[in-house]
Amino acid sequence: MIARLILGRCVSALVTLIAISIIVFAMVQMLPGDVASMVLGRFASETAKEALRQQLHLYQPAAWRYLGWLAGLLTGNLGDDLSSQQPIAVIIAPALGNTLVLSGAALAIYLPLTLSVAGVQAFYRYGGIDHGLSTVTMIGASIPEFLMSILFLVMFVVVMPVLPAVSFVDEHTSFIGWLSALALPAVVLAIVMSVYGIRMLRGNLIEILQSDFIQVALLRGLSPGRVLIRHALPNALIPTLNVTALNLGYLIGGVVVVEKVFAFPGFGSLMVDAVSFRDVPLVEATVMIAAAIYVASNLVADLMAIVLNPKLRRTS
Amino acid sequence: MARRTRTARLALLWHRTGWSLRIGALILLVHLLVAVFGPWLASYDPNEMGSGIPLSGASWAHPFGVDQLSRDIFSRVLNGSHIVIILSLSGTFVGLTVGAAIGLFSAYMGGWVDELIQRTVEAFVSIPFIVLGLLAVYAAGPESAGKPALMVLVIALLYAPRVARMARSAGLDIITHDYVLAARLRGERVWSVIWFELAPNVISTLIVEFAVRTAYAPALVATFGFLGFGIQPPTPEWGSIISENRGIFLLSPVAVLGPGACLASLIVAVNMVTEGVSRLIGQRVEIASR
Repeated sequence: MIARLILGRCVSALVTLIAISIIVFAMVQMLPGDVASMVLGRFASETAKEALRQQLHLYQPAAWRYLGWLAGLLTGNLGDDLSSQQPIAVIIAPALGNTLVLSGAALAIYLPLTLSVAGVQAFYRYGGIDHGLSTVTMIGASIPEFLMSILFLVMFVVVMPVLPAVSFVDEHTSFIGWLSALALPAVVLAIVMSVYGIRMLRGNLIEILQSDFIQVALLRGLSPGRVLIRHALPNALIPTLNVTALNLGYLIGGVVVVEKVFAFPGFGSLMVDAVSFRDVPLVEATVMIAAAIYVASNLVADLMAIVLNPKLRRTS
Repeated sequence: MARRTRTARLALLWHRTGWSLRIGALILLVHLLVAVFGPWLASYDPNEMGSGIPLSGASWAHPFGVDQLSRDIFSRVLNGSHIVIILSLSGTFVGLTVGAAIGLFSAYMGGWVDELIQRTVEAFVSIPFIVLGLLAVYAAGPESAGKPALMVLVIALLYAPRVARMARSAGLDIITHDYVLAARLRGERVWSVIWFELAPNVISTLIVEFAVRTAYAPALVATFGFLGFGIQPPTPEWGSIISENRGIFLLSPVAVLGPGACLASLIVAVNMVTEGVSRLIGQRVEIASR
């Protein structure tokens, strides 16, 4: 029953999210050590620490605090940021929006890039161009995100000074300003995602191109181009979507570093700053949201695989 | 067939390898030599200020240039080489052993223990690498910042759940075999069964997993160093070197590209060797699976 399978997956994702929330809360608030000292430093005055303890309700039992926090998460009240005393939801919303725009731009570059390179590799499989591209993707996969960002920074700001070194945007930035700010980080993110996506997609595409129905179509005399477009590509859609959904989840992690390098005021920068400044509620909120997005994208990938591929519906 | 001498067998093995394995092995060898002999090869002390004109570019005396505090960057890179390698290896090793132990234990126990451990592992895996690392660094508290042990534990924490997942699925394949049942009937204790029956049979998968994870570990160490959550300056860890020199890349790009190329070449080399060796022994390997 497909409905039951989908429901099962959703429940599983929910359980995972709850487990993650326990882990996050435990790691932030329940580890041995005085939370107030951790936030304010060992040399902070006792009155300051006491004020912080009252603010964070640290005198309540941990389980109670956890449930309170969880309830807040579900109702949209993420608490108040420690440094600026503003509601966290107000701080996160624009940052998340910026990151979503960045992710959208990265996806827009990633999809044609991955499809074309993987397609070329699958078409000329096991030949020289396939090996060459495989080596290029392996080297690309071996470069950490921050290094890739810096490489691009050097290339397009030093060697060819066409783009700004810092991608700061706010509500006053023009559309062109947005484009030039997004260009480098989006390209870097797209490349970092594609080097994984291409490797995954290449295997899937080769499998499709070597399958019987393609061979039959070719034997029937259809041109390779027509076979590729009318017969192979629609079947490649499923693995592409699957790979993309998985990469979306990865984006949340990659975006942290890229945003920091390009000084893009997004969700990733917010998380790094929260950890640097030991802003307890902000750390909890941002980590939870990041994990939730990751779980959600994996769930979408799972569900899409079930819906689009009838063979998977029989597995429990 | 006549008995082949050991050298003859090694020579045959070498001939079967592809170009990528040879190049990768060569680069890796260079890295290991630099890690061991680096501090002696460096012409300048890594923290010695005044070794050259600040912000100057590449030159014969200073292959990677000189940074803002007029320290020779190449010497710093040479001295930092062993840091990256030791941290990566130890972090991956700890993560692998802990993860494998958890995974095999979970597979063997089955039932609700398995389910509980599975859920926990799944939760950890669902937190993206960097995010979990940031959380771990935060949780460790401000006094542990910059300590190498913290980096080792963070990498172990990042890798252990993924290895546990893999070890569990490998273990599930094995527990159905008769020798496991025989061991259990003999009255062997749980850990004895895991150590003597399960572990030896997953060891080849684990070794490949170790190689793959070790390849990505320098990237993790350097990323945390770059963000400022890993090894702190002035220790010449490659990530923090790149972060320090980021401000001067407009004037002296080699200050950033040099260490970056070293880092990338290390990761590429380990990946190449892993891929080559796994192809040689017939195992399929997925580079940098997440």
